[in-house]
Amino acid sequence: MDTDRLSQGQLIAAVSAIALFIVSFLPWFGTPEVTGIGPGGGSITIGGNYNMWEGENPLDIYLLIVILVALVPAALALGGGGDQPLAPIATTLLAGVGTLLIIYQLFDQPGDLGTKIGIWLGLLACAGITVGGYLAMQEDIGGERY
Amino acid sequence: MDRLSQGQIIAAVAAVVLLVAEFLPWLGAGGSATVTGPGGGSVTVGGSENFNLWDGSTLDIYALIVGVVALTPAVLALSGGAEEFSFMSAATFLLGVVGIILVVAFLTVDFPDGASRKIGAWIGLVAMIVIAYGGFRAMQEEVATEI
Repeated sequence: MDTDRLSQGQLIAAVSAIALFIVSFLPWFGTPEVTGIGPGGGSITIGGNYNMWEGENPLDIYLLIVILVALVPAALALGGGGDQPLAPIATTLLAGVGTLLIIYQLFDQPGDLGTKIGIWLGLLACAGITVGGYLAMQEDIGGERY
Repeated sequence: MDRLSQGQIIAAVAAVVLLVAEFLPWLGAGGSATVTGPGGGSVTVGGSENFNLWDGSTLDIYALIVGVVALTPAVLALSGGAEEFSFMSAATFLLGVVGIILVVAFLTVDFPDGASRKIGAWIGLVAMIVIAYGGFRAMQEEVATEI
């Protein structure tokens, strides 16, 4: 794989997108575990940790779109495909909005649902995609600066 | 207002509809039953409750962002602001298309079990489609103007 075909911005966005995908499987939310006796006499545990995909929340689908928008131009560039002039703008816009959505999610927790390490790492990764997309935009406008 | 293209006007009107629709019921939960009491009178037990988009979904803030982005060219034009809206049309189109995907996902795979879809959700979906169309049309009009 010849990563020289990627600009620095594309590389940062792609690496951050892969990181966000991996982080999406870590715990993002959690509730205190409570163990009790069920109707049949067996023990039942309620609560636990949830990753990004386990919440009934459109954030998972949105961040999947962000990951794809950040990765596809990089994959095309690595495969020797043509330039995608709108890709850095789309990456910056969608990842920027994604970063806002994650920040909003941090302050909009229903009930006693708490935040876990995954959401903080996801916030960092999504911000990384935004920065990568912005750098790629600047590189497109002003030529290779880095 | 004359500086606004037809696509931008379409997107702006749909954005207002979307922002209003956020406060309409999007889903309903529960149900009520009327039973006849021992004295012959009827008693209603339980009750259904409606929830708008601000009651517990990240879609609320996303719809707000889409609405603001779609409205910005109209607000700038009305206030005599900058004339350059080219990036906003592309942003409106892109955010509108992603918004359609998110609302469809909310109404299908992410929809809570046992809940029912209410009028706000359908109006929101139509508004999101019109916003994307308005953004696309505004992009086309900008290309035609440049030629």
